[in-house]
Amino acid sequence: MKLLVCVKRVVDFNVKIRVKPDGSGVELANIKMSMNPFDEIAVEEAVRLKEQGKVTEIVAVSIGPQQAGETIRTALAMGADRGILVKTDATVEPLAVAKILAKVVEQEKPDLVIMGKQAIDDDANQTGQMLAALLGWPQGTFAFKVAVGEGSIDVTREVDGGLQTVGLKLPAIVTTDLRLNEPRYASLPNIMKAKKKPLDETSPETLGIDVSPRLKVIKTVEPGGRKAGVKVGSVAELVQKLKVEAGVL
Amino acid sequence: MNFDLTPEQMLLKDSIDRLIASRYSSLEKREAYRKEPLGFSEAIWAQFAELGLLGLPFSEEDGGFGGGPVETMVVMEALGRGLSLEPYLTTVVLGGGFLRHAGSAEQKAAYIPEIVVGNLKLALAQTERQARYDLADIATTAEKTDRGYVIDGQKSLVLAGDSADLFVVSARTSGEQRSQYGVTLFLVDANTPGISRRTYSTQDGGRATEIEFSGTIVSTDAILGPVDGGYPFLEHVIGETIAALSAEAVGAMESLHQLTVEYLKTRKQFGVSIGSFQTLQHRAVDMLMALEQARSMEMYAAMMVGSDNADERRSAISAAKVQINRSARFVGQEAVQLHGGIGMTMEYIGAHYFKRLTMIESLFGDTAHHLHQVARVGGLVAAA
Amino acid sequence: MDLRFTEEENAFRDEVRSFFRTEIPAEIRRKVSEGRRLSREDYVISQRILNARDWAVPHWPLEWGGQPWTPIQRYIFTEELLQAAVPLPLQFNCYMVGPVIAAFGSEEQKKRFLPRIANLDDWWCQGFSEPGAGSDLASLKTRALREGDFYVVDGQKTWTTLGQYADWIFCLVRTDPTVKKQAGISFLLIDMKTPGITVRPIITIDGRHEVNEIFFDNVRVPIENLVGEENKGWDYAKFLLANERTGIARIGLSKERIARIKRLAKEVPVGTGTLWDNRDFRARVASVEIELKALEITQMRVVATQSKTGSSKPDPASSILKIKGSELQQTTTELLLEAAGPYALLTGDQIGAGPNEPPGGFDWVDAAAPTYFNNRKVTIYGGSNEIQRNVIARAILGL
Repeated sequence: MKLLVCVKRVVDFNVKIRVKPDGSGVELANIKMSMNPFDEIAVEEAVRLKEQGKVTEIVAVSIGPQQAGETIRTALAMGADRGILVKTDATVEPLAVAKILAKVVEQEKPDLVIMGKQAIDDDANQTGQMLAALLGWPQGTFAFKVAVGEGSIDVTREVDGGLQTVGLKLPAIVTTDLRLNEPRYASLPNIMKAKKKPLDETSPETLGIDVSPRLKVIKTVEPGGRKAGVKVGSVAELVQKLKVEAGVL
Repeated sequence: MNFDLTPEQMLLKDSIDRLIASRYSSLEKREAYRKEPLGFSEAIWAQFAELGLLGLPFSEEDGGFGGGPVETMVVMEALGRGLSLEPYLTTVVLGGGFLRHAGSAEQKAAYIPEIVVGNLKLALAQTERQARYDLADIATTAEKTDRGYVIDGQKSLVLAGDSADLFVVSARTSGEQRSQYGVTLFLVDANTPGISRRTYSTQDGGRATEIEFSGTIVSTDAILGPVDGGYPFLEHVIGETIAALSAEAVGAMESLHQLTVEYLKTRKQFGVSIGSFQTLQHRAVDMLMALEQARSMEMYAAMMVGSDNADERRSAISAAKVQINRSARFVGQEAVQLHGGIGMTMEYIGAHYFKRLTMIESLFGDTAHHLHQVARVGGLVAAA
Repeated sequence: MDLRFTEEENAFRDEVRSFFRTEIPAEIRRKVSEGRRLSREDYVISQRILNARDWAVPHWPLEWGGQPWTPIQRYIFTEELLQAAVPLPLQFNCYMVGPVIAAFGSEEQKKRFLPRIANLDDWWCQGFSEPGAGSDLASLKTRALREGDFYVVDGQKTWTTLGQYADWIFCLVRTDPTVKKQAGISFLLIDMKTPGITVRPIITIDGRHEVNEIFFDNVRVPIENLVGEENKGWDYAKFLLANERTGIARIGLSKERIARIKRLAKEVPVGTGTLWDNRDFRARVASVEIELKALEITQMRVVATQSKTGSSKPDPASSILKIKGSELQQTTTELLLEAAGPYALLTGDQIGAGPNEPPGGFDWVDAAAPTYFNNRKVTIYGGSNEIQRNVIARAILGL
């Protein structure tokens, strides 16, 4: 079984982001970039499925500038087998991403596509769903647990108030949630191996996809600072404040 | 000329940074590791092995991953940032260095694979009470007999000596006490009869051992490198160790500076954050400059430590140690001062960085020692 | 990670090194090395030799005489120039007013001024500081009132370095006193021969005439001498000051001075040997060299980042270079003073007649103290080191 895992290069989650002075977006110059943490979980799950013998080949795909190749290298160092970089310097919106991925799926013919439920930069949470719609494939989103069977996959999802398990027929799309697994650190031997793994390059133009934006960013603002808290002297005072001032009791 | 890491070095950095950030995320965790039987976390050591870090500097033929000084720098910086207690420096850099440079094919085959999987830990038994920083001042003797060599003498300050399974021991096989010629290195199993150890905890949370060798018999297979010709290896491997230690110091300074700047932003007095006071801002800037100067010399050391020109290499390493020591002292002292009272307490992680930085200053040569080394050869700039 | 230059860069270094050491008159380089006063003619000769080789303004735009050099080549060029004790092309011309005119001036201004700036046909000086506007430069008061096709300038500028030689002065003047202080400033080019300008020397602690006060009394300046837009002068000044900060570490200069101190120390007798045999002195020299090496690497890191990102925009890290570089320049002058020892007391001014012997028997000691005194300025000018610390605290540490 062949698996496609999608990884996005985003601002590292540890970086305190700053809005550009003109409000057009966030400052990206000289900022540490990393793999989207949800995608890391997707790669980890893919590698685990391969280690369980359920998957024979993992292809990691990323869409972005040349440096997105580094993100693919990270996936390769974690255990993916080869990479495809769809190179573009444009800002690619979820629908365009889904269209590009649909094209890659058409060429690669994987049985399963795994990706993060959302990227931590724009928090769109759309790509997986759109890709499923474009391909007409079943989808299991917000995966908490994944079990691959014969020609099918059970995905346990995190939903409001509990867990829900759906059975999907392959090929299918899975998007990963935070608690699916804890991603591994790339080991030195795997980093060395990753160096020799193939990384192919293509582009939206070659794939025949128009990535011109459909959305317009009107304004980007930084979140307001948190107000200072107050220290209460006793439990009684706390209860009193929660009742009277906060009105939550 | 470039100061970039390769993609592979970046991946390595990412892995080790994240591992250390999660395992050493609080002082409580570090304290728990320190109280384990060996004084560090065996689980983390196993994880180092799993990630291949313990095989980093060894060649691929020897079962390692062919990393160089820059890779070691990347790892040591991360260990410094987290104030790690694991004996990476002593086993991989120091012990591993002797095996790499002086080991015979048999010795490499016997020990390196064991180090790589985490089964074997090394320590260097070199310093003696009278020697201070003079590497050639060795009174411990190794006398040739028909059964091999008999080692007699005392070694001090053997870092991580209690958890080590194998010692690299320097002993005199000929020559006067302070002569560079006549030093021979031996690989000695820690359980060999005739070895007694007494271990102390160190000011920075680590351990060091005083070792007495009395009539300790080792076979000729234990000889590491040429008989009487051990000194150049001592000097070379300790040079590499200073480069690695510099990286650890830079990692620690970086964390400590960051902590301090955060503290300036959050601590309020007189109704404002104390970081709004110009006096304190300027001191934080001076800390940053000391850190960046140290970082430059850390890189310089990493790039020069492999130089074939021994004079150039020695001066570069000594110069780096001087800068690292000065920056470490300055950053450490300023951090305590800018934190005020809390900086004086054992319950605050910042104080532990200060203590480690202070101890790094005196390891493998203090400021005066290395400054004299540079001055003795006439400095770094050629006279007009 | 690699410290080495490429083969091309090494060849470039050899080329500029040998040019500096063979083409620039040895006498001029000796004066620079010894910290002697350069005449106006010395500056002009040296800069014209460079300009004839198209090297006076390599950092300018190509069409105005710049070179298509990488940041690394520029770094090599400046370091080699300083190490060869070649006078830097006149700062006010090549690093200050030239780049501003090239970036913000009109086509006419560029054609009229830039070639003459590069060749030092016109000597420029800087009219920024005022008695009441030092670190707080934007509070400057010299005023320019528009009257028809002229600005009428009244006020006083100070610390005008080498203003006594100048043909032109570029000034920050207040053209709108009613708005926020930064918003009412303009950048004006003024011919020093205009009636109403008075230059008064200020003698600095080294006993030399290097800086001046300049008074403007009803000075009429044609409006075509305004650079860019009226009231936008503060932006141009910031651009200029940022330029001034790059390369200000002067590592090559400190290296050259240290090399010279070592040579001198070997000539100064102490006891049965020389000063160079003194372990303490050598340790102090080594100590400075180590910090200098660290700064050299720091500078290379900044240059490498510039060459990677393709941006020559000065980053806040250059403030670190300025602070450390200037402190080290001062420390090297302290070593020089120590090397001269008690003979540093003597000036070269012999009172009355007598045999023409150097003071104390050394031909260099009389310049030691003036060099030391003079270099106290380097932590003050170009944005004092305290201002630089404010910049780093804000821009890098976010305090």
